[in-house]
Amino acid sequence: MTIEMTHDEVREALGAEALGALDGGERERVLAHVAGCDACRAELDALREAAALVAHVAPHRPLAPARTADVRSRLLARAAADGVSRASQDDVTIEAAPAPIPAAFPPPRADAEPARAAPSRPDVTPITSARRGRGAMAGWLAAAASLLLLIAAGVYASGLRRQVDALQARATQLEAERTRLADRVQQGEATVASLSGPAVKVIEMAAARPADPTGRMFWDTRTARWTFFAHNLPATRPGREYQLWLVTADRKISAGTFRPGPRGSAVVQAEYELPPGSLQAVAVTEEPAGGQPQPTGAIVLAGAMSTR
Amino acid sequence: MHPERQLLPYPSVSDPASGRPRPGSASADDPDLALVRAMAAGDERALGLLYDRWQPLLHSLVFHVVGDAGDAEEVLEDALWQAWRQAGTYDESRGSVRTWLTTIARSRALDRVRVRRAARQDVSLEDAPASAEFVLAGGGPAEAAEAADLRARVEQALAGLPPDQRETVELAYFRGLSQTEIAEATGQPLGTVKTRARLALQKLRTALSSLREEAP
Repeated sequence: MTIEMTHDEVREALGAEALGALDGGERERVLAHVAGCDACRAELDALREAAALVAHVAPHRPLAPARTADVRSRLLARAAADGVSRASQDDVTIEAAPAPIPAAFPPPRADAEPARAAPSRPDVTPITSARRGRGAMAGWLAAAASLLLLIAAGVYASGLRRQVDALQARATQLEAERTRLADRVQQGEATVASLSGPAVKVIEMAAARPADPTGRMFWDTRTARWTFFAHNLPATRPGREYQLWLVTADRKISAGTFRPGPRGSAVVQAEYELPPGSLQAVAVTEEPAGGQPQPTGAIVLAGAMSTR
Repeated sequence: MHPERQLLPYPSVSDPASGRPRPGSASADDPDLALVRAMAAGDERALGLLYDRWQPLLHSLVFHVVGDAGDAEEVLEDALWQAWRQAGTYDESRGSVRTWLTTIARSRALDRVRVRRAARQDVSLEDAPASAEFVLAGGGPAEAAEAADLRARVEQALAGLPPDQRETVELAYFRGLSQTEIAEATGQPLGTVKTRARLALQKLRTALSSLREEAP
């Protein structure tokens, strides 16, 4: 059933193909012909452009603002995660922090291409020197020379225009890359600041079990950022997670759940405003996965806020 | 999630989703092309900007095809996600970003309708609403003037087609009917349907070619 279609038959079918209306077998034969026929390909591309315009006559109905914000943020979150995983596929990933909050320092993006070769420069037509003519020819030659000059200038200008376009595209890429790097640096600086700032308080935690897990919470009271490190934590049982608590006089506030990495280490970051005098202790309990509103499990780590 | 960024390193854009058709004439200063390239390089903010520019048109299109708000929203997201994944394969020499995006969105929308029909085991053509159902009502105040202008011109061009050609375009484009199905639905020979499709698109192209020449 692989009867080849003639050029004319294919041409006749291009409209239906542009509208996606060809049936399987015919479609294959048309596309096979189009792949090897520049004229049909150009015609099909043009008809597809025309078909795409039909979309504009669908009754105008943009997504409602609240819904569109949702869709947009979902897409961006998916794309950001996709970018990170694309980067890690390229073996440039740093060891993922064993924390419920994605690594504080996202792995570098491998897919940010370095210098893409600039499009090749079109040759600039050289301006040949016009020879002076003699007698009656002189005026004509001068006019011809002017015309040549104009044409050459036009070619030169269009060459320049293409160069400008290429440079603009390159600048756009570099600017995007610069912004991305600036964000990364800013993120890193924020983490360092939350560990070392003048207003950072450190809460030492000791094990409540024979195994000796340790933990340390850095609380930047100025930015309300909490950074928690733990080591030697036993792996959680299936269906269970560790949960981190900020304990005040009247409540216990969940700062997130986490599972330790293969070597028993974990990093948790959280942001939470708490008046500097109100924290009494920090604790880690083992809870059903997903966490609990109030601690129910055994205390794995606990540390009192020093009064210094 | 990334914090808000002020800096948008893309060309400022004055013609959201409404730009003049520029088939096959994408150039480096085409904001859509810059966005698709940035997407191919993994910059998710470009996806956000492309979404902002094209969401009104693409949502209108998929809603018109699927006819259900929840489905339309999902299809819209699927379509943009596909664009993100395939940005590296976009070839501007083969067509405009408009054509690329509307093609993806329309295919995803038609897929959704087919899945629904299959689920109901109802494959009759009665699902296809009567033809000639283009609603000529203009957009709301949110619709950019240029988008409204472009829509008006496309509508005008379609209105200038003989009714049978226009019907063929509608049934194929919005209802996803094949030429065989259209032939059955309209009682016309297959060859006639094929010819109508081609003539209709050629006329549309001619009617709208003046727009292209106006393109910047």
